Amino acid sequence: MAAAAAGSLRRAGWRLWRGRAGLRCQLYAPQQGLHASAALRRASEEQRKDPPPSPSTQQQYDPQQTDPHPEQEAWNPQSSYTGQGGQQSEDYESEEQLQHRILTAALEFVPEHGWTAEAIAEGAKTLGLSAAAAGMFHSDGSELILHFVSQCNSKLSDLLEEEQKQVQLGEAEKKPTDQFLRDAVEARLRMVIPYIEKWPQAVSILLLPHNIPSSLNLLTSMIDDIWHHAGDQSTDINWYTRRAVLTGIYNTTELVMMQDTSPDFEDTWRFLENRVADAMNMSSAAQQVQSTGKALAQGLMGAAVTITNLTGLNQRR
Amino acid sequence: MAAGLRPGRALLSRRRGALCALLRAARGLAARPETHFGFQNVTEAERREKIYQVFENVAEKYDVMNDSMSLGIHRVWKDILVHKMNPSPGTLLVDVAGGTGDIAFRFLNYVRSVRERQLQQKLRNHQNLSWQEISKSYQEEKSNPLGDSQVVVCDINKEMLKAGMQKAQHLGYSEGLSWVLGNAEELPFDDDKFDVYTIAFGIRNVTRIDLALQEAYRVLKPGGRFLCLEFSHVSNPLLSRLYDLYSFQVIPVLGEVIAGDWKSYQYLVESIRRFPPQEELKAMIEDAGFLKVDYQNLNSGIVAIHSGFKL
Repeated sequence: MAAAAAGSLRRAGWRLWRGRAGLRCQLYAPQQGLHASAALRRASEEQRKDPPPSPSTQQQYDPQQTDPHPEQEAWNPQSSYTGQGGQQSEDYESEEQLQHRILTAALEFVPEHGWTAEAIAEGAKTLGLSAAAAGMFHSDGSELILHFVSQCNSKLSDLLEEEQKQVQLGEAEKKPTDQFLRDAVEARLRMVIPYIEKWPQAVSILLLPHNIPSSLNLLTSMIDDIWHHAGDQSTDINWYTRRAVLTGIYNTTELVMMQDTSPDFEDTWRFLENRVADAMNMSSAAQQVQSTGKALAQGLMGAAVTITNLTGLNQRR
Repeated sequence: MAAGLRPGRALLSRRRGALCALLRAARGLAARPETHFGFQNVTEAERREKIYQVFENVAEKYDVMNDSMSLGIHRVWKDILVHKMNPSPGTLLVDVAGGTGDIAFRFLNYVRSVRERQLQQKLRNHQNLSWQEISKSYQEEKSNPLGDSQVVVCDINKEMLKAGMQKAQHLGYSEGLSWVLGNAEELPFDDDKFDVYTIAFGIRNVTRIDLALQEAYRVLKPGGRFLCLEFSHVSNPLLSRLYDLYSFQVIPVLGEVIAGDWKSYQYLVESIRRFPPQEELKAMIEDAGFLKVDYQNLNSGIVAIHSGFKL
């Protein structure tokens, strides 16, 4: 009861603050009265009328915005109203962005609650929303996992871009392919380490039928990304074989990592090294087989001609 | 009460209602705020009065009639609603037009079992607990079985609340439950108070739905959820014919036989037909300011659950 009273006092306080914000934002849509939640309603109406605002159009609405990444964080009508990550106004944000924010906040509760709706509810609570906001997502936590995976993939992508830029600028040496693949896969798998205890649960949820399209999509785009940055420019069957091989390496290494208990996952990285080496050998082995086959075929042809000559069956000469 | 409505004249009343609608259209907009009570047209004040009387009459036999009319399926509908809500312990629920407390009881059961599971999970995760810690967690379970969740049942009708309170006593629900007399168009609560707002089979009886939706928006916390369970529009033509047949021929008869009240159940089935269909209600909810509004049809449209968030 005391908690509820404190909560309502706090909310009354925020309401006053937001009411002031509502007063100053009167130029936007004076139809509603100066209701405490008028700002939110106005913003949601505006969003429904216009298509979801791009960052550039958002710039027009708020010249005082201090955050350089408007699409990542919500932003405030005046600079004095900046909460330190907590009770920020969601007024000018689309639903998607808010969902992303909730999921990102939920990630820190995953080690405790697992990849579940409870973690999402806790995440929503840290943003100042009610726990009922977790109802926006599926109750098995799939959106949380997909969000995390796509976040990791974009982090990996940024990392690879950085490396490429450095190589272009001449600050770093261009790595040989196997080293590059090893480093990329290791970097990507290291992002999973903080959640490694609940990761098996995540993998099993990603394999549910209704999640397979999205998870497969994320996996293939990540592998494609790695190969692209590794400098793959093949246009024949190699394109497919390379990606298939790397997907296999990635998946098996992930499985090994999940039950690896060595310090800093040394066994996993050694396993990865061996698999990549196998893959490289496989391609040279394939070439060797091809050339051996050719040589063998030539040899057999030659032997056949010699025999026909010797036995006099070859009447042509 | 309902002038001209005699038992067995269901069809006649429908034709009369259609005629009235035509006349009204011909006359143009009426001067007083005209609204509907079943297939009649009445003023807003009259409608409120009539609906109050309907529920006053049916309050005692409400649950029995629900079971007989829907063949017990209403229990499944309400279970699905609470499952969709998926409340976590610590949730504050306001059940408006909650009358006899069906949703409130289900909510309390759900939250109690989630809380038990949470405590069990906590015990299982910590493997080196001392005896003190284990006994403390058992005490926690006994002292706070609901995890601070609360439900407020709000209804405009005193008789329905009385029936609900008696039922709660009978079934043994006492903790985390409170009963408030209030009008959905003007809730006696502060702003930003509740996590979830539900209205099950009640929004049909509200005279100004838009006001009720605005009130719902007001009392919900940011991030709060609005859930509405209501009879809705059946699109499948065959099912629609069967449903109409059942509604107009069987239900009022059941009402007369079981509760001794033909007219109230006549009102019930007519009000279902006058209620806006799914998409229209969705638009109204969006107008009140809710985001991510969506609906789920149960039994191919006989009942629909609308859900929206205050973001």
